[in-house]
Amino acid sequence: MSRIWAVAKNTIRQAVRLKTVAFLVLALLVVLLLMGENASGDGTLKGRLQTFVSYSFSLTSLVLSVFTIGLIVYSLTNDIKQKQIFTVLTKPIRRSQLLLGKLLGVFILDFILLAIFSFTIYAIAELTPRFINTSKQELNRAKNEFFTARMKLTPQKVDVSEKVRKMYQEMKKSGKLQQKFPNMSQEAIIRILTWRQEQWTRAVAPGQELIWEFQNVKPLEDAQSLFLKYKYDVSVNPADLKVTGAWFVGDLRQIQYGAKVQTPVHEFARKELIRTYYEEEVPSNVVADDGYLAVGFLSPPLNITTILFPEDYLQLLYKADTFTANFIRASLLILFRLTLLACLGIFAASFLSFPVALLLCLAVFTTAHLSGFVMEALDPATHDVGLFYSYTIKPLIHLMPQFDKFSPVKFIIPAQLITWKFLAEAFAMLVCIKSFLLIILSLCIFRFREVAKVVT
Amino acid sequence: MDYAVETIDLTKVFSDWWGRNKIYAVDDLNLKVNYNEVYGLLGPNGSGKTTTLKMLLNLLYPTKGKTILLGASSSDPKISARIGYMPEESYLYRYLNARETLNFYGSLFKLPSKIRKMRTESLLDMVGLKAVANRPVGTFSKGMARRIGLAQALINDPELLILDEPTTGLDPMGTRQMKDLVLKLAKRGKTILLCSHLLADVEDICDRISILYDGQIQTEGKVKDLLRQTNKKQITTGNLSDTAIQKIKQLVEKENAECSISSPVEKLETFFIKTVITARKQRKVTSGAVADSENAIADFLVEEQKEELKRAEILDKLVSTDVSTEQKAEPAKAEEAVKMEKTLVADRELLENLTKLPDTSTAQPTHAKQKAEPVETDTISAGEQAKNLLDQLTGEKESQNDEQQKKGNPDKDSEK
Repeated sequence: MSRIWAVAKNTIRQAVRLKTVAFLVLALLVVLLLMGENASGDGTLKGRLQTFVSYSFSLTSLVLSVFTIGLIVYSLTNDIKQKQIFTVLTKPIRRSQLLLGKLLGVFILDFILLAIFSFTIYAIAELTPRFINTSKQELNRAKNEFFTARMKLTPQKVDVSEKVRKMYQEMKKSGKLQQKFPNMSQEAIIRILTWRQEQWTRAVAPGQELIWEFQNVKPLEDAQSLFLKYKYDVSVNPADLKVTGAWFVGDLRQIQYGAKVQTPVHEFARKELIRTYYEEEVPSNVVADDGYLAVGFLSPPLNITTILFPEDYLQLLYKADTFTANFIRASLLILFRLTLLACLGIFAASFLSFPVALLLCLAVFTTAHLSGFVMEALDPATHDVGLFYSYTIKPLIHLMPQFDKFSPVKFIIPAQLITWKFLAEAFAMLVCIKSFLLIILSLCIFRFREVAKVVT
Repeated sequence: MDYAVETIDLTKVFSDWWGRNKIYAVDDLNLKVNYNEVYGLLGPNGSGKTTTLKMLLNLLYPTKGKTILLGASSSDPKISARIGYMPEESYLYRYLNARETLNFYGSLFKLPSKIRKMRTESLLDMVGLKAVANRPVGTFSKGMARRIGLAQALINDPELLILDEPTTGLDPMGTRQMKDLVLKLAKRGKTILLCSHLLADVEDICDRISILYDGQIQTEGKVKDLLRQTNKKQITTGNLSDTAIQKIKQLVEKENAECSISSPVEKLETFFIKTVITARKQRKVTSGAVADSENAIADFLVEEQKEELKRAEILDKLVSTDVSTEQKAEPAKAEEAVKMEKTLVADRELLENLTKLPDTSTAQPTHAKQKAEPVETDTISAGEQAKNLLDQLTGEKESQNDEQQKKGNPDKDSEK
């Protein structure tokens, strides 16, 4: 371990002596301060805070990612190019220790720099409300919708697979398949039927109601409100693009079974625009003692169209942790990402020269931000390609780091709780599996690399 | 038999990415370097010297054959912990200063902090860089970089020292110090394998050499044996009158041999060093690396030697008292020893008259080295005779000889 530590210290010293770190810290700190001063968003305090944190977090993550890739790739390839590795590897140090030492050095630097920048962003965000003139309502909104960590509950997806299977069999028996779905494969027909049935589970015709039930709703003790976030879609657009909805939030079991009401039920009815998110503040005492909460929706008969709730149409948000704790977890997500990038850098540098290794890392880094989109786009589109896709392209795409899935900004901006489970999943995927695989590959390649060989 | 360095059918073939254009950099090389010897690897550019060293140090992998250092592979950290390597250029981290550089390499050997610090200071002192110890290595001149390169190779007090072009980039003083250092390390029982283009340097310090060409050993042997011209004789005397010179010429011509007589020319290196030493005595200040003393060597590198000297002193004392008591016990042997001593003293005087140098202060390390050769160890000091006598009396001579052969003959040091 002492040899790994010696190499790590040397790597840190290299970064510091090259003035890279000093320049980076100063430049980024200045930019963060300027952003804190100038961010405006939609003009509200919440909007201003969201804009600042969104941009500053993204910028910090981007700069540190590029710095990590650059430093680790430079550190190893430069050692080989300038031949310092000759004097190091002829000492009693294993090649694996050299690589791990460099990784440790970069990790420590990343940790320190991330701590500095995260603290700066946090401090600016916390201090912003004190230095700008704003109304009490704005402050309250920022407190409830930004300076918090809210658990997000969404309705469970209804399993329609059995129903779809039966429908398919019936259509096949009656010979309607060719009539309704001419020249389509079984897989394609089932996909269409599934989509339709799922739509129906979220459809409410005029005069009908829909109830969603949630278990284990546990707001923090100091939380005074819950938030119901919803969005409408419709089968036929009304003239004014608005629909009316009546909502009931509380322990609806009391009403259904005629028992004495123990907890209050929050009700409201509004005419609102379609395809627009709305957020309703609900008192937290509507939650039953056992953590049960139901949300009911009634489409009044005066609506002339069927309301179709889109995917991710309904969210129940409640304060489950503090902003500070959530912010720390968001920073940890960035640290996991940097760890993976450091491992990617050492992997590339173990067999490539500086410019090629850097290019490879930056290409993967860019793709990693789009991997979710690529997967979503390719998975359905390549269903018919079958085995070839499943065993070649698909595993490669899934090996991509998937930074968009584990983006901290997605959580911090809507003040959504980053659960420990999610954090553990990110750690397992980014560090334990992908980083570990990259380290093992790097060690195998570097073990057999002739470092003194002149590559022509 | 064990060797400090051994290669067995070592072959290295370089080819391009497609496996074409095969070049045999090293071809079935069987190199054997004994323990405690200074071995020189010579050859023109591209003859495979550096490739061989790199394969020995695991920086390149052999296409065929294998390398053995100190009885095992150098990839084993236990073995590399006993090796020091100075590459042909000092490949050091430019951003570290001299002290940090040595500290870093010391920490790779897991040396305790105190020892690391002590060795770092000693080595900085030895290579004359103490005054610039806090300057980044990147700002050093080539010669200074070579010095710190040497210091890093010695930080672990290695048993085997591999030097690639050790005197390249050094000024004559530095070259001389480097050569003296190599000799001192050799005296201490270190094995030194070096490759160099500077033949004069190799000639001065190597016990054995091999000349490589096309990756193969063309010739190998002791330097003296390879260079000795047995069909010629050389006599060196003090200043002679013209009459004496004529007489000698006539005498030689009578033997039907050619004779040329001239005044010996001092080596430029020796002349340069004398000039610089004189200037230094006049306190002419210079920049750059300055060793505190001539022939300085780091304390920790000679600790064992000091121990040996102490042991020798104790032995001398024992001998000086024991001889008389032993003489009483065995008067015949004592008389024989006295006779032998008288004979040896007479022989030594004769030999000294014949080999007297014009100026003993300019004596080269080479001469000292040559005296160390077993064939010329005719002169024996009084202490040595006493020790031999003790050995004869105690019957330990043979067992000591065996040990010396294993350990590297410390007696050779005192003779040198």
